Amino acid sequence: MKNLFKEFLKGIIRENPTFVLVLGLCPTLAVSTSVINGIGMGIAATFVLLGSNVIVALIKNIIPARIRIPCFIVVIATFVTITEMTMKAYSPALNRALGIYVPLIVVNCIVLGRAEAYAQKQTVLNSLFDGLGMGVGFTLALILISGIREALGSGKILGYTLVQKFEPAFVLGMPSGALLVIGLLLGFFNILKGRRE
Amino acid sequence: MKEALRYGFILAMICVVASGLLGGMNSLTRPKIIAQVQGEEQAALREVMPEGQHFEPIKKGKDIIYYKVNNKDGKFIGVAFEASGKGYSSVIDTLVGMTQDGSIAAIKILNQNETPGLGARIAESSFTGRFTNKNIQGLTDIQAITGATISSKAVINLVQEKAKEIQALIKNEK
Repeated sequence: MKNLFKEFLKGIIRENPTFVLVLGLCPTLAVSTSVINGIGMGIAATFVLLGSNVIVALIKNIIPARIRIPCFIVVIATFVTITEMTMKAYSPALNRALGIYVPLIVVNCIVLGRAEAYAQKQTVLNSLFDGLGMGVGFTLALILISGIREALGSGKILGYTLVQKFEPAFVLGMPSGALLVIGLLLGFFNILKGRRE
Repeated sequence: MKEALRYGFILAMICVVASGLLGGMNSLTRPKIIAQVQGEEQAALREVMPEGQHFEPIKKGKDIIYYKVNNKDGKFIGVAFEASGKGYSSVIDTLVGMTQDGSIAAIKILNQNETPGLGARIAESSFTGRFTNKNIQGLTDIQAITGATISSKAVINLVQEKAKEIQALIKNEK
């Protein structure tokens, strides 16, 4: 049980997919304009990660090593399509806000990365907790980035105005702002890592 | 050769299972998705023509050109139509409600991907409200949003252009 908890926890800080593994930056840059988008994207990616990790761990013995990548992609694409259909049916507004980045979870390196580097060598239970941890880590990273961008870029959090008469720095809401915020956060996490070692 | 066949077979089996799953999921969510789309459409139409009760799509081939709007007494009061055009960084889709005498009842931005904080404010009611009760000939007087002139002008132009086109079509509508 303790081991499983460790598998879960490592995705949040020590092996955080965004700040430490530096995977899946494309959707991170693109959808982190508002906190609600960040949360939506995080939950969608977490679901896909969980599903693909479990299935890959389940069928790892029947997949020949030489065709493992196409097999993984089929599994991942299936989960992504299920996620997209569910979103369209129950939360069309979120689906519109996330746009093309939902189908693009298929090529999110975190998902394939975890299947390749972890799930295909591990037990189902371990993979489940790994997927969950990575997903939560990704979601928290998105919330952090989009929180900074939304607060400073438009003066709001989740649509609520924070401070009256605050002139927001629009640049943070634009793509260049995403690069700036992620760059600074990456540097910050590197300092933390350096301290620990 | 034998290896290749075996690989192909395994991959095919995985694909078969995956497509079976997706087919099942599709038949579960499809009715729900259609209902969502229709519900949104009706809600959006109500928003741009608040007095409308019945919206009848007028089609040309498969495409809807505009909606004929009747009020609750069944009287023809105007039309609602979609207008799209290029903004500053994206295509802007709008839904417009127009009364028969050519004044705008309301507009609603359906889709846009303009600069957040600047151009994206065209979707806010403080901007779309400026169209209400304006005659389509006088739309160019509408004040643009500070710092988002291109997006604002784009909305004004695309609404005006389409509105004139539709007005010509409904001249004889009763």
